[in-house]
Amino acid sequence: MIFNLFLIKEFKKYPFFFILISLTLLLGIFGIAGIGVVSEQVTSKLRQNAKELLTSDLVVSARRELLAEEDLSLSQIMARHPHRKYQVIDIYSMVKHVRTDQIRLVEIRCIEEGFPFYGHLSLKSGIFKTNGLYLSQDLSDLWGGQVGDEFKVGEKIFSNLGIVTKDTSQGLRGFSLAPRIYLPLSLVKDAGLLKEGSTGSYARHFRVPNFSQQDFLKLQQEILKALPDAAIRVTLPQESSEQTARVLGLLTDFMSLAALIGLILSLVGIFYLYQSHLISRLKDFCLFHLYGLSKKDIVLGVIGQFSIIFFSVVVGMSLLLIPIYEMVQSQLSSLIGMELATTLNLFELLKSMPFLYLLGVTILIPLLMGLLRTPMGAQLKAAKISLGTFRFYDFSPFFTILLSYSVYLSHSFKIGSLFFVSILLVLGVSTLVIKVTQIVFRKIFLRRPLNVYGLEIGLASRHLIHSGHKLTLSFLSLALGTTLISLVLQLDSLIQKEFTLDEKKPSLFLFDIQEEQLPDLLDFSRSFGVRLEGVTPLIRGRLDRVNGMKFTRVPENSTVRTREDEVESRTKNRGINLTYRAGLSPSEKLLEGEDFSSSKNENESLTFVSLEERFAKRMGLKLGDKITFDIQGVEIEGIVKNLREVKWTSFYPNFFVNLSPGAIDEAPKTFLAVLPKDFHHKKHAYQREIVRRFPNVSLIDVEELMLKLSSIFEKARQAIELISWLSLIIGLVILYGLSHDQVYRRYFDIALLKSLGLTAGQIRKQLIVEFGFLFILAASVGFLIGWLIAITIGIQIFKLSWSVDLYRMVVPAVSLSIMCLVTILVASWRAVAVRPRELLSDS
Amino acid sequence: MIKISHLKKSYGVGESKVDVLKGVDLEIGAGETVALVGKSGSGKSTLLSLMAGLDRPDSGAIMIRGKNLNQMSEKELTLFRAQNMGIVFQQFHLISTLTALENVSLPLMILHNTEAEQKARELIDEVGLSHRSGHLPSQLSGGEGQRVALARALASGPSILFADEPSGNLDEETGERVMDLMFDLVKKTKTTLILVTHDKELAKRCSRIVMLEHGSLV
Ligand SMILES: Nc1ncnc2c1ncn2[C@@H]1O[C@H](COP(=O)(O)OP(=O)(O)OP(=O)(O)O)[C@@H](O)[C@H]1O
Ligand SMILES: [Mg+2]
Repeated sequence: MIFNLFLIKEFKKYPFFFILISLTLLLGIFGIAGIGVVSEQVTSKLRQNAKELLTSDLVVSARRELLAEEDLSLSQIMARHPHRKYQVIDIYSMVKHVRTDQIRLVEIRCIEEGFPFYGHLSLKSGIFKTNGLYLSQDLSDLWGGQVGDEFKVGEKIFSNLGIVTKDTSQGLRGFSLAPRIYLPLSLVKDAGLLKEGSTGSYARHFRVPNFSQQDFLKLQQEILKALPDAAIRVTLPQESSEQTARVLGLLTDFMSLAALIGLILSLVGIFYLYQSHLISRLKDFCLFHLYGLSKKDIVLGVIGQFSIIFFSVVVGMSLLLIPIYEMVQSQLSSLIGMELATTLNLFELLKSMPFLYLLGVTILIPLLMGLLRTPMGAQLKAAKISLGTFRFYDFSPFFTILLSYSVYLSHSFKIGSLFFVSILLVLGVSTLVIKVTQIVFRKIFLRRPLNVYGLEIGLASRHLIHSGHKLTLSFLSLALGTTLISLVLQLDSLIQKEFTLDEKKPSLFLFDIQEEQLPDLLDFSRSFGVRLEGVTPLIRGRLDRVNGMKFTRVPENSTVRTREDEVESRTKNRGINLTYRAGLSPSEKLLEGEDFSSSKNENESLTFVSLEERFAKRMGLKLGDKITFDIQGVEIEGIVKNLREVKWTSFYPNFFVNLSPGAIDEAPKTFLAVLPKDFHHKKHAYQREIVRRFPNVSLIDVEELMLKLSSIFEKARQAIELISWLSLIIGLVILYGLSHDQVYRRYFDIALLKSLGLTAGQIRKQLIVEFGFLFILAASVGFLIGWLIAITIGIQIFKLSWSVDLYRMVVPAVSLSIMCLVTILVASWRAVAVRPRELLSDS
Repeated sequence: MIKISHLKKSYGVGESKVDVLKGVDLEIGAGETVALVGKSGSGKSTLLSLMAGLDRPDSGAIMIRGKNLNQMSEKELTLFRAQNMGIVFQQFHLISTLTALENVSLPLMILHNTEAEQKARELIDEVGLSHRSGHLPSQLSGGEGQRVALARALASGPSILFADEPSGNLDEETGERVMDLMFDLVKKTKTTLILVTHDKELAKRCSRIVMLEHGSLV
């Protein structure tokens, strides 16, 4: 019976309501589900490919070659298990294409016979030989390199024996900073690439047949114990894919949050639609009640009704998403740079639905509580029926679920709660703005004749003053939508500004300069007419103890981890690069503590330490802490004198840890330097000469790097922007529903105004004034808050500098308001055009 | 004042077509008070809406003060109605966001009357609601609401007042008092009144009673 009353009858009677609710819900969950599905596809693909990415069962790697005794202990452990092995060395070096005289930084992957155990390297034609190198497809495309061409790598010239079309060990094409070249390991030594301190990674790969997952974990622990240096990593396949998953994960997390805003918008719409639906159904509910249905039954009926709508929408969405995914699968794969599965996993699609369902039901709780509080018996006698009021705490289940869902989606307590607080902020500010506006309007308009500022404005102002939370709801949905758009646009403009080449950014970044080369390099540069800047030593070391406590290796394979945990364990496990420097570089700023020079060194043996602020926070280090460093076997004790902020995007050589000069000057080191922007015109010639004279020195073309980085950011931004626009469309649909409802609620008012002599044009003018004002206000609030959040994120997280892009604020705000007005006019067109005859009918 | 000839109006099309008015002829002189009676569904409201220009007839002519409503554009009709007619509805139809005083002054403001507010105050006073002039409709009782509606209908000094069951939503006593007030005001301003009602006693207070049956007047 209830089923019949609440579903079939209802649907027949209010098709518009049901269609609008379903559409709103569909749009709301579509974004979240879509992104969830894609990110699931990517991670499951990565999991599947984990072995191919790593190419073996277990890898022992470090940023240096293993010491003889380390190598020995490793061999002893491995000798107990039958295995096969090979070595892979990845280094960055400058490579010259001899025929075209082009030079660029290349990742050289030095491989041995047997590589890879899992996956494959596909050659365009022919087979691998060991007397030359192989270009990756990317590089061959960039250079037009052909088989037989000669390339200068380090001090040697090799000829290109073939082109690698596919490398299953490469995670995401397009996300790596330098294209690859493959070189047999036997040739590397001759090329003089493996200088002490060169940037590179040295890995020993093992394949152990008949080993279980459990065995590998045990083996991993055993090796870790035998090789205690935290700089040495022991990696199993599932961990190798984490790096890639992390990059993509961060992106999809942000996209999910953007989509969550879309969902929240649609929930605002559902709240509104249901409210107005329940009010119009209240009389019938009272009658149901009179005939014996309890209030609880009625509430259950409404919940059941919503559940069935939700269920049908989920079914509809799945039916929609599957073909859409199949359609865009190939474009998506090429965009991400990874071959995705062609079909969807339906289970993954439905996984997040319970959460979404809960969000939907909890947003209705306040209304249902209102229903329970309605004195139903008394309503039938009353002249005007009204729904019982709801209280603010009725929303608490909804907000609780929202908070946990945002943490779940972002995989981060910090980002999730930041997101949640931002939503509350928009909510609070919107309510405040509406209330203040109403108070101000009361002062301005009430107690003055209706037509002092024109009749239309008078009528519009009265509406704005007397509409209650319905006004707040439409305002809120618009403000939320614009906040999101503004956030994306402003953040983008901030980031773009950071990644454009200005006078202060260097044109070349030099690294791997050997200590003994430095004087020659400086001499040569001077004779070439350029002046190197920021010449900074790089010394490898390790944090050993803090205030006497040992830094331990954090186990990498603990269970559930949020993003914060991951960052922490990664930085703690890594050896660190540090430098010595007397003062601060131009791109550094003192935050806390004092300069090295201004503090006296009473204790000669104590070295001063300056830490990058966020590094210090991650490692839990404070001013005054005593840190013991292990610099290649030598212990150095230091005291933290200051914390500083580093502007990394300046591309000047900077480090997390600076020591005062003196104690470590003699440690083995390499040097970094930059070629200032002023010598931009000499860049290419200089680069060529450096490669010729100092083949082991690597150069990064900062300009090119920034292009690359900004194109990666651009991709990410486009993805997020796409979702933002989806959210905005949801906002507009909701606005359409809302204004349609509001205008029809005012149907009689409009008819009456016409009967009293107002023309349709004048009534539209009144609506434009009223809604236009509301939209411009909401858009302004949204764009302002969005900008504030962008600035906060930009300054706090990316250390960007303060700026405002007015153009990107005003133009979208105005065009959005116009879009909203058009929506309102369309929604109200028929109502305004109608002849006022209906005034005489009874209902 | 009003001259109607061969007025026809039907709703719907095809099978479901209902012929409501099948050729109505009626003439009403200035200052007359006419009661329009008939069974429910006989077409009283329809006739009223056509006379007030709230809807258009299928055929036939409506002449008011010598002007044919059919030949006016929607805009002209709107202005003509604002200047010459007042309407009182069964459901009052007050604008919920405007105070009593603003509701009454609205028609005057639409006509750009410079003394709108002062005139509206006089009218509110005349219907005995000066102490309620700043209240919103939701704060008024039914009887008070209908009195405000009455004041609004008469605000622009129309020559014709249309009223469709004005006491239909009020209890007997209140209804009677509001009707007393209406007849007083109509008499005082010499306004022509066309009143639709089911109430025989009320109909008798008019100078003429016309009855609508099967789509025409009898
Ligand atoms: N918009 C419409 N569409 C279709 N039929 C309509 C419409 N308006 C009125 N009718 C029909 O026209 C007929 C006359 O309606 P009208 O409202 O004029 O009657 P009435 O005499 O005022 O009745 P009551 O005394 O109940 O108010 C009725 O049968 C009604 O169903
Ligand atoms: Mg009627």
